[in-house]
Amino acid sequence: MSASSTQKVPVEERLFSLVLALLATETGLTKNEVLSTVQGYRQRFRAGGDNANLERQFERDKDDIRDLGVPLETVESPGQPGNNQNLRYRIPRGAYELPSDITFSAEETTLLNLAAMVWREGSLSGESRRAVMKLKGLGLVSDEPVLGYAPRLRVRDAAFEPLRAALERNAVVRFAYLKPGEEQARVRTVAPLALVQHQGRWHLHALEPDTQRTKTFLLRRIVSQVTTTGATFPAPLVDQTKAALSELEQVWESHTAEIEVVPDSDAATRLHKRRGTETLANGVLRLHYSDANIFADELAGYGPEVLVLSPPVLRAAVHTRLLRTAAEHSDADEGADRG
Amino acid sequence: MAERQAPLHAQDKLAFLLSLVPFLMEHERISVQQAAEHFGVPAQQIREAVKLIAVSGIPGETGQYQHGDLFDLAWDDFEENDQIVLTNLVAIDDAPRFSGREAAALIAGLQYLSALPENADRGAIATLMTKLSRGASGVPSQVAVEASESDATLALIRESVATGVQLEFDYLNARGEHERRRVDPLRVESVDADWYLRGWCHLREAVRTFRLDRIGNPQITTAPIAFHPADVLLPDVLFEGSADDLIVTLDVAPAAAPLLADYIPDDAVSTEVNGRLRTAVRVSHYHGLKRLVAGMPGVVTVVGPPEARRAVAEWAAAGAARYEAD
Repeated sequence: MSASSTQKVPVEERLFSLVLALLATETGLTKNEVLSTVQGYRQRFRAGGDNANLERQFERDKDDIRDLGVPLETVESPGQPGNNQNLRYRIPRGAYELPSDITFSAEETTLLNLAAMVWREGSLSGESRRAVMKLKGLGLVSDEPVLGYAPRLRVRDAAFEPLRAALERNAVVRFAYLKPGEEQARVRTVAPLALVQHQGRWHLHALEPDTQRTKTFLLRRIVSQVTTTGATFPAPLVDQTKAALSELEQVWESHTAEIEVVPDSDAATRLHKRRGTETLANGVLRLHYSDANIFADELAGYGPEVLVLSPPVLRAAVHTRLLRTAAEHSDADEGADRG
Repeated sequence: MAERQAPLHAQDKLAFLLSLVPFLMEHERISVQQAAEHFGVPAQQIREAVKLIAVSGIPGETGQYQHGDLFDLAWDDFEENDQIVLTNLVAIDDAPRFSGREAAALIAGLQYLSALPENADRGAIATLMTKLSRGASGVPSQVAVEASESDATLALIRESVATGVQLEFDYLNARGEHERRRVDPLRVESVDADWYLRGWCHLREAVRTFRLDRIGNPQITTAPIAFHPADVLLPDVLFEGSADDLIVTLDVAPAAAPLLADYIPDDAVSTEVNGRLRTAVRVSHYHGLKRLVAGMPGVVTVVGPPEARRAVAEWAAAGAARYEAD
């Protein structure tokens, strides 16, 4: 059939044939065997000639296949360790196939489809689309949810994607970080451990190689491009996201503010609904927050509907912000100067 | 640069082939149409994939792709009846695992949705996340979202739809006006940390969008709903512009511009003025604008019209005065 065809083989046919060939072999195939026999390569293979282009193609194809989660592995030929020409490639069945005891109920499938929908735009959209395709391949049909949902995470921080890529490759990164209250951004060099969203904001949990201390950075305060230094670090052995989230939770827990709100105002309704808000006997709200500067921005938006009673630093921060906004919009400096 | 797109495309096609084969193995006979509906793809995409599968295989003993080394298909059934029956199978026995990144995307998605009533059974969700991790070929990448508590308002909204009765609640609009609304819930939407209910409002007799954190005292009524989610085609955008909208000119620090993206009309022209982006935004009234601008101090300034500047100045000055009074 297509076996003797000399016309151009489509990329997906070559990749599919490579996966099939490497799944079918127990002992693995050498690069030479792949290039000379597998559909899509063999048509271009020159026996005894220069196959440098084809070899580069094979390298790229391996990356593309691994990127899909296919465990394409390299094994050394028995008795010839260290001989690159005799490295063998294969896809071990056990590592490729979904374990047979993993099944998903209709309810679980519904939840997974919703979870995939969360990433329908942005950096993980391709991944979630493919995950849904794999779920469909299992023949799963989801329950139609009672109520339609359209959840969406939009990662607006430009630093997210480069950090995520670095995280996967255990690559050390460098970026300029502007700490609130500091005039100048400082360049940080860190090993990224986890990206977590807490209170609607993305944070990087990272290890500073110089001090061997972990630190948490708010992505929106990263003011430069994120670059990799070329250095890598050993992958952490345990899940880092739990530690990162519980650290942020502790910070949030430890910061409380007491705020007076105008009854029935927008501030009263919305601040009352925040997680962890307590109403004190005199009607004052006690709230938790993570970051005084960010919370001050939010509170300033409520204008005269809120009065911060404590802590003093938050009170001063909100007051200053309101004064600044008032000054920048007074008729005296009609749109020109902004201090 | 078009080169970079091409392999991505082929990669997705490969993922599709690897998912389709085990599905076809499971269904000894299935129509192209049924398979297309199941995967949510055009029938032609199924036909092309099946044709490719049918001529693919392994090099085999001879390295020559002999007949028995290839998948095979009941070609007559396929070409005449649009039915898929694979008659020979090679290499693939089962469905592929998730990649570490795919598992991480689903796990983070589940975490993000933890406020939904469907996710209330935390034990079941934890089991599901474990299955995803075990079903991945690599360690799920380290991306996570803080889990939130089950939301009581969301549970009531769901109950309202499930039992077919209207939902009633106090709603404070951005102008600060209180109203008791009766709504047929149609869809719950979210963007990051903000959750919205879209529904048919019996007071306005139109589809309206409500912020969940502005809904007070929600209650299930006894009045039957007039519109079911399937009856109403919702527009894609949460807030539609109207002819009465006001256009305001702003200067924005470039880093803060993405936060205003929802307000900037598609045809707006942005220019750079003193290192800031000067752009137009569309607002329904100044009550919303003053909150928006006062909540982004130092990074957004209203340039005009003067009434808009005045609304912001008065709002901020009134807020500041509260700190000077006592």
